[in-house]
Amino acid sequence: MTRRRLILVALVLPLLLGAQFKSFQLRWWAIQPVVKKVPPPGAANAIDAFVQAKLAAQGLTYRAPADRWTLLRRVTVDLTGLPPTPEEVAAFEADTSPDAYEKVVDRLLASPRYGERAARYWLDVARYADSEGFKADETRPNIWRYRDYVIQAFNEDKPYDRFIKEQLAGDELYPGDANALIATGFNRHFPDESNAANILNRRQELLNDVTDTVSSAFLGVTVACARCHDHKFDPILHKDYYRLQAFFANTRIHDEAIVAAPDVVAKHDQEMAAWEEQTKEIRAEMSTLLDQARANETKDRMSRFPADVQAVFQLSEAQRTPLQQQVYRKALAQVEFTDFTISAKLKGAAKDRYQELTRQLRNFDSLKPAALPVAQTMVDESTTAPPTYILRGGAYDAPMDEVTPGFLSILDPKPAVITPPAGLRSTGRRSALANWIASPANPLTARVMVNRIWQTHFGRGIVASSADFGTMGDRPTHPELLDYLAATFVEQGWSMKKLHKQLVMTAAYRQSGEFDASAAAKDPDNKLLWRFRRRRLEGEAVRDAGLLVSGLLNPKMGGPGVFPARPDSAALKGAWPITTIKQDLNRRSVYIFVRRNARYPLFESFDMPDTHETCSRRQQTVNVTQSLALLNDAMVLEWAKAMAARVLNDSGMSSTDQITRAFRLAYGRAPRREELASSEKFFQRQGADALTDLCHVLINSNEFLYVD
Amino acid sequence: MSINRRDFFTRAGSGLAGIALAQMLAKDAAAATPVDPMAPKPPHFPPKAKSVIWLFMEGGPSHIDLFDPKPKLNEMHGQPLPKSFGPLITAMGTGNNSLMGSPRKWRQYGQAGTWVSDWYPEIAQHVDDMTVIRSCWADGLNHVGSVCQMNTGSILAGRPSLGAWVTYGLGSANENLPAFVVLMDQGLPLGGAKNWSGGFLPAAYQGTQLRQGEVPILNLKPAGGVSNARQASKLEFLTELDRLHLQGRADDTELEARIRSYELAYRMQAAGPEAVDLSKETAATKSLYGMDQDLSATFGRNCLLARRLVERGVRFVELYCGSGSSWDAHANIEGNHSRLCRVSDKPIAGLLTDLKQRGLLDETLVVWGGEFGRTPFNEKGDGRDHNPWGFTMWMAGGGIKGGQTLGTTDEIGLRAVEMPLHVNDIHACVLHLLGLDHTRVLFPHNGRQERPTIVGGRVEPALFG
Repeated sequence: MTRRRLILVALVLPLLLGAQFKSFQLRWWAIQPVVKKVPPPGAANAIDAFVQAKLAAQGLTYRAPADRWTLLRRVTVDLTGLPPTPEEVAAFEADTSPDAYEKVVDRLLASPRYGERAARYWLDVARYADSEGFKADETRPNIWRYRDYVIQAFNEDKPYDRFIKEQLAGDELYPGDANALIATGFNRHFPDESNAANILNRRQELLNDVTDTVSSAFLGVTVACARCHDHKFDPILHKDYYRLQAFFANTRIHDEAIVAAPDVVAKHDQEMAAWEEQTKEIRAEMSTLLDQARANETKDRMSRFPADVQAVFQLSEAQRTPLQQQVYRKALAQVEFTDFTISAKLKGAAKDRYQELTRQLRNFDSLKPAALPVAQTMVDESTTAPPTYILRGGAYDAPMDEVTPGFLSILDPKPAVITPPAGLRSTGRRSALANWIASPANPLTARVMVNRIWQTHFGRGIVASSADFGTMGDRPTHPELLDYLAATFVEQGWSMKKLHKQLVMTAAYRQSGEFDASAAAKDPDNKLLWRFRRRRLEGEAVRDAGLLVSGLLNPKMGGPGVFPARPDSAALKGAWPITTIKQDLNRRSVYIFVRRNARYPLFESFDMPDTHETCSRRQQTVNVTQSLALLNDAMVLEWAKAMAARVLNDSGMSSTDQITRAFRLAYGRAPRREELASSEKFFQRQGADALTDLCHVLINSNEFLYVD
Repeated sequence: MSINRRDFFTRAGSGLAGIALAQMLAKDAAAATPVDPMAPKPPHFPPKAKSVIWLFMEGGPSHIDLFDPKPKLNEMHGQPLPKSFGPLITAMGTGNNSLMGSPRKWRQYGQAGTWVSDWYPEIAQHVDDMTVIRSCWADGLNHVGSVCQMNTGSILAGRPSLGAWVTYGLGSANENLPAFVVLMDQGLPLGGAKNWSGGFLPAAYQGTQLRQGEVPILNLKPAGGVSNARQASKLEFLTELDRLHLQGRADDTELEARIRSYELAYRMQAAGPEAVDLSKETAATKSLYGMDQDLSATFGRNCLLARRLVERGVRFVELYCGSGSSWDAHANIEGNHSRLCRVSDKPIAGLLTDLKQRGLLDETLVVWGGEFGRTPFNEKGDGRDHNPWGFTMWMAGGGIKGGQTLGTTDEIGLRAVEMPLHVNDIHACVLHLLGLDHTRVLFPHNGRQERPTIVGGRVEPALFG
C-alpha cells in the first residue's frame, strides 16, 4: 500500500467502526500516561543525561561552561527579573567553594524578588488586568489581591496542585481560607462589559473565556475550535467544549468577598453598627432625598432591557430559575446606582440639603471603622446550576443537546462525579474539575507546567508551542525528559522551587551561549541544546533593571496598582491618575496598574500580552517604538541621571573611574579595553553631560537588554 | 538634521563590521534579513491598491439619512415596526418604538445616478469614483464591540487590527515612518488603543497614533531638549558598544536588527515631523480640505495628513471622524448629523479631489463608514438607535469600480437583504485590493492558524473595476 493510502485507511477505518476518534487522535502523545524512564547513564543528573544522549546521537556536545560573571547574570535575571549588583558579582567571583553556585541559586529562590518574577509569567497565563476592558474599562479596585496572592504563592512555594485547586475552586475546597477565596479571582479575569445589552450573549462569552483559559492554562490544549464543531485535528469534541464549560455554568462574580479574620470582621461590624445607630436619621433623610432620582434612573435603565429580562425582576429569588437568577444578577448591576451617582442628579434645594447632610455625616467619620479588605472573586450562585447545552455554531441562542459536566471525552467519557460541598451554597462542580486537573493521573497538567517553567530558563519549551500540546502543536524535542520532569515534579510535591533549582543546576543551563558553526549546521534552531539560548529582557525587566542600576528601585511589595507617568498620560486623563507618592513611581513593574485599554506603553512595545486572553509564551520582537522609548522617554533619562549621580558618588573624579563604575553597575563587569577607549573618546566629545549620556547609552545597549 | 545618516554611520562604523554597515545603508538590505519585521513582502497577486485610507465615522452614521433613501419608511412614519420583522434586542431597548422617516432631500448624482442626501453635497460630487455598499452588516450592538469588530473583525478585543494584518502581510514601503498610522480628530475612540493593536501579532505591527502638535509620535523627540549633535554622538557611541558586543555573537541577527532599529529611530525623528509639517502646503490646498473653516479644520487637516502619509508610502491610514463616538445620535439626529456632515463633507471631498489630481487615487483605496448604521425606528422621538443589521459603507479608488451602488436593505433600512457583506467580507475585499488573499495571511496563535477574517470573509468581485 502506498503511504497515502495507508493514511487514508488510518483516517477512515475508525470512522467506519463508529469510533468517535481517529486512530491518530488516540495515539496523541500528550494524553498518554506519563512514564518515568531511567535516564541514560553517565551524566551527573538525569536532565543532562537525557539532553546529552540526544546531542551525542548527532555528534554534538555542550559548549564550554559559561564564565562565572555570565552565569551569575543569567541565573539572577532568570530567577528574580533583576540583574546582579556589582557587590553580588564580586562576592560570587570571590567564593571559591565548590557549592558557590548552588548557594547563589538558593539565595535567589529564597528572595522575595523570585515571587515577583515568577508571578509575572503566571499573570500572563491568567490574563490578569486591573480593569474590565470594553468601553468603560472600569477599575477592578480589589483585584490586585489576586496578583499579591500569586506572588506570595510562588514565594511560599505553594505546591502547584494546591495552587490550581485554589484558583479554580478555592471557595469550595478551602472554605474560610481567605487566600483560597482570593485565588478564585483567576476565573474573574475575563474582560467584561458591565452594561451589555444582550445579557445572555454576554454570559455565554464569559463562559467561553473561562473555558478557553482553563483549558489552555492548565491543560495546554486549545479548545476554542470545538465551540462550533468537533476539533478538526485534536480529539476534542464539540460536546466536550460544553462539558468543560458546564463546570462554570453556575458561577457568578462576587466582588465584595470579605477577606479578614472573623474577629476583625466582628469588631468591624460592631463599630459599624454603632456608627449606623448614631447616623440613622441623617442617612434616612439622605436616602429619602435620593429616592425619586433613583427611581427615575432605574426606570429609564430598566426600560432598555427586553421584556424577558424585565420579567425576572417581577419574580422572587425562589421563583427564578437558576438561569433567570443569573440574568437578574447581571441586569441588577446595571440598574443599581451608587448614592454618589444619584446625588449628582439632584438640583436646587434638594441638592443643597444633600450636601449639608453629607457634611453632617462626615462629623461621624471618626466612629466609622475602616473598610474591611475585600477581594474580587468568582463563586457559585447556588446549589443548582442552569442547564448547559451544546450550542450550534457557538451561538448562545442556538441550543442543541443538553450536556452535564465532564472532562475531555478521550480521557474520560463519563459524566463527572460531582459532590456538592457540605454546608455551602455551591454546586461542587469546580471542585470536581480542579481535582481532575490537579491530579497526578492527569497526563497533561504536570507536563504543561514543567514545560512552561523549562521555557522560562531555556527560552524554548521542550514543547515549543507551550500553549498548544495538541496534534498541530510542536512535538516535544525530548519526550522522555519531559516525562521524567513531570513525574519528578509530582514526586517532589509539585514544588516549583525545586523544579527551578533542578533546571538551573544542570550543565545544560550552565553552558555558554557561544556560537558554533558546525553544531549550527546540524541543529540550526538549537533544539537539542548544544548551547545556551540568548534572551532579551521583557519590558518589565528592562524597567526594573533600569531602576535598579540607577538606585531608584523601591522594593516595597504588594498593594493596589501604581500609575507611573507615561508619555501619553495627558490624553488618558482619569484612566491613568499618576501616582503622587514619589517613591511609589519606582516600584517594581509587576505592581504597575494594568489597564486593559491602555497598556503601559513601554511594556506594550516590549511584547507584553494584551491581557484579553491567556498567554503562555510572549513574543520577542525588535521594533522602533522600543528604541524611541529607551532613547527619548523622560523616565529613562531620569534613570540615566540618577545612575550618573550614583556613579559620581561612588567613584573618583577621573573619567576612567567613572566609566568603570558605570559599566559595573550596568553590566556587572569592568569595561574591556576597546570599550574603555570608546567611552573615553565619548567623554571627551560629549562635554558637560557626558556621564549622564554614558549611563543612558549603557541602558540602551544590547548587553544591557540581553542575557547571555 | 545637522548630521546626516551617512556621516553618522560612517563615523560610527570606523574599522568595524564594514560589510554589515554597507548592508545597513543599502535600501534593500532589510529584505534580506529575516528578523526585520517591516521588510517588504511580496503580495499574493498583483495589487490594485498600495495604500488604504479608512475614514471611520465613529458612533455610527445613519445610512438611511445619507446613502440609502427609504420612501416606504417615510410613508410608515409614526407606525410601529411591523410584526414581520420579529423581536429585536437593541442597545437602548428601542425595538418597540415607532418608525421615523427621514426628512432629508435626496438627489441622484453623477453619471451613475447614485443617491446621496443633502447632508453630503460635496462628497456627492465624487460618486462616479465610488462603489456604495448598502448591505453591510456586523455583529455588535454596542459601540466598543462594534468599533473593535470594524477594526479587528471580532467584537471581542484581542485580535489584530486590519492595519496590523496588512503591515504583517506586506511589510512597510517607507522605512522612516510607521506603516500603520491612526489619527483622531478629538479624544480616543471607544476602546482606545486596542483598536489599532497588533493583537497576537508581534508588537512591530501595531498601529501608531499620530498626535496633534510638533511631536506626532510618542517619544519622537528626546525629553529634556537634547540637541541633535548630542543625540547623534550618543547613538554613535551606542553603535560602537553594540558592535563590540556583537563580536562573537555575529550569528544573532536580532542583535543586528536592534542596532538598525536605533538607526531607524534616529531617521524617524526627522521624517516624522517632516511628514506632518503642513507649512509647505498652499492655502488653496488647505482650503480644498476645508481647513479654512472652523468646523472642518481639524478633520480637514487629518485628511491632508493622510494624503501626505500615503504619498510617503504609509500603508494604512485610519482617520477617526468624531472620535469618541460623536456620530452616536440617540437623540437630535438632525443637529448631530448636520454638524458632523459639515465636519466631514468638505475634507473627504477635498481628499478625493486631491488624490485624484495627484494621480494617487488609483493606488489608494478610500473606505468610508462607521461601526454600524442607525435604526429606522426613533429613539427619544428625534434620534436613532444602533443598527448593525444593515448599513452603508462606500469605497473609492484603489481598484474600486466607480459609479455603482451594490446591495440593498429591506424597505425600511433595518436589515441587509441583497448581497449582504459582513465586516469580515469587507476586510477580505480590502485585503484583496492590496493583493492579499485573506485566507493566506496566516499567523499561528494558540493552536490555530489565525487569519484576518477569523472563520469568515468572502471577496465580492462586484466591487472591483
